[in-house]
Amino acid sequence: MTPFTEPPKRSDEPIWWALFSAGGVCFAVLMPGSILALALLPALGLTSADSLNYARVSALLYQALYGMAGLAFVGGVICLPLFHTAHRIQHGLHDLKLGGGLLSKICCYGLAAFASAIAIGLLLAGQLQ
Amino acid sequence: MPDPKSASTAYKPVMSRHWWLQHRYFQLYMLREATVLPLLFFIICLLYGLFSLSQGEVQWQSWLTFMATPWVVLLNLLAFSASLYHAKTFFELFPRVMPLAPAALMIVAQWLATFIVAAGLILLLGGWL
Amino acid sequence: MNKTISISRYNPEQDSQPQLQTYQVVSEHSTSVLDALLQVQQQDPSLSLRWSCRMAICGSCGVMINGIPKLGCKTFVRDYPEQLVISPLAHFAVEKDLIVDMSPFLQHLSAVKPYLINAEKSLQPHKQTPAQLAKYQQFANCINCGLCYSACPQFGLNPEFIGPAAITLAQRYNLDSRDQGKAVRMPQLNSKNGVWACTFVGFCSEVCPKKVDPAAAVNQGKVASASDFIISMFTP
Ligand code: FES
Repeated sequence: MTPFTEPPKRSDEPIWWALFSAGGVCFAVLMPGSILALALLPALGLTSADSLNYARVSALLYQALYGMAGLAFVGGVICLPLFHTAHRIQHGLHDLKLGGGLLSKICCYGLAAFASAIAIGLLLAGQLQ
Repeated sequence: MPDPKSASTAYKPVMSRHWWLQHRYFQLYMLREATVLPLLFFIICLLYGLFSLSQGEVQWQSWLTFMATPWVVLLNLLAFSASLYHAKTFFELFPRVMPLAPAALMIVAQWLATFIVAAGLILLLGGWL
Repeated sequence: MNKTISISRYNPEQDSQPQLQTYQVVSEHSTSVLDALLQVQQQDPSLSLRWSCRMAICGSCGVMINGIPKLGCKTFVRDYPEQLVISPLAHFAVEKDLIVDMSPFLQHLSAVKPYLINAEKSLQPHKQTPAQLAKYQQFANCINCGLCYSACPQFGLNPEFIGPAAITLAQRYNLDSRDQGKAVRMPQLNSKNGVWACTFVGFCSEVCPKKVDPAAAVNQGKVASASDFIISMFTP
């Protein structure tokens, strides 16, 4: 038990918690619609024919609103939810007594950052073509 | 400091890693935390889609076929249910963290946002807009 | 009506761990779990337990009832027609039978300086509007029973977590218009064992006998700590 004599060190959790919360909003508000529109409805043939064709999707993602639409989509449906996921896995590992220390923290948030960078890189590469 | 007299004789319980199985409330908590696992699957699908789009029309077409594979549809159906369960818990917790308006009102407003976003995405990506 | 109840017994001089023992009690409509325990104590005076007010005010009779932290005096035997198992509060060291060592809890409470801090020396009373009172009033209803600590898996996993009641009390004073001590309380909340150890399980608020909603206080504390974090980046 730490005697409460000296003020403890400030945690860096506000950064991860802010990303987690933003990602949580995206998960709750953007994700149900995104999963329906991109995965379930087209797979079940419930969209108007060929609405997800190559030309249309690249125009939406690469050109619409000067590329801002694509950036907002990747940020809101990939990057922020990735940090949300990383945060919950990090704390879940602690809950299950499997991790939650510095190593799992670096792995979780590191992978989220890495995958986010790849997503943004792929988008920008397409937009610049 | 714990009382030094009792420190040696007191029985100190240790928490097992299965603590969350012991009560329904904790099971639902773990379910909430686990919603990120099917979410992660959908995000990986999207990353794959982003990559496919950057590779051109043929690869994009094969991504669409991949997304219609039964096991992928099934996992995305799980991700969809997870996003709704996450939304339910998130919308209920949010007014307690930031009590900006009566809780019931905030919950309804948040669900409304989710529905509007979903309708917009379905209309746009489904080819009706 | 006769009722069989099980009580966790632990004698530090003989036992290596607690074990359940069953007793017969007479239960009427108004018999509380505390009443039942006191009946058992008549039969077996070696049973140790804490209690005082019998009316959910003093906060000393907390026990686990079928695995859920509750006040013995506020819980009725009639609500447990099946089994009724009484054990000491979870996540604390058991000293004897239903008596746990509450000193970690008390230490965490005092760490957040739960009193008005105000340098101003004035003999005038501090006036407060109803709106100013409403900001913290709910968080001021805590009776320090410790049930929220027994409900909190994060405290069970990490005994250094300052915990629901202490953080609620910190918020209670931080939100009080008469107080100026926020700056000295925030370092405790900002640490990894402060608000950031919480994952909003929320069971603390379920078991709170006074409807204080400690989970809300802790998570409002996260917003406060995050703002404090941002401010600290712009101040040397
Ligand atoms: S005896 Fe005082 S709260 Fe139960």
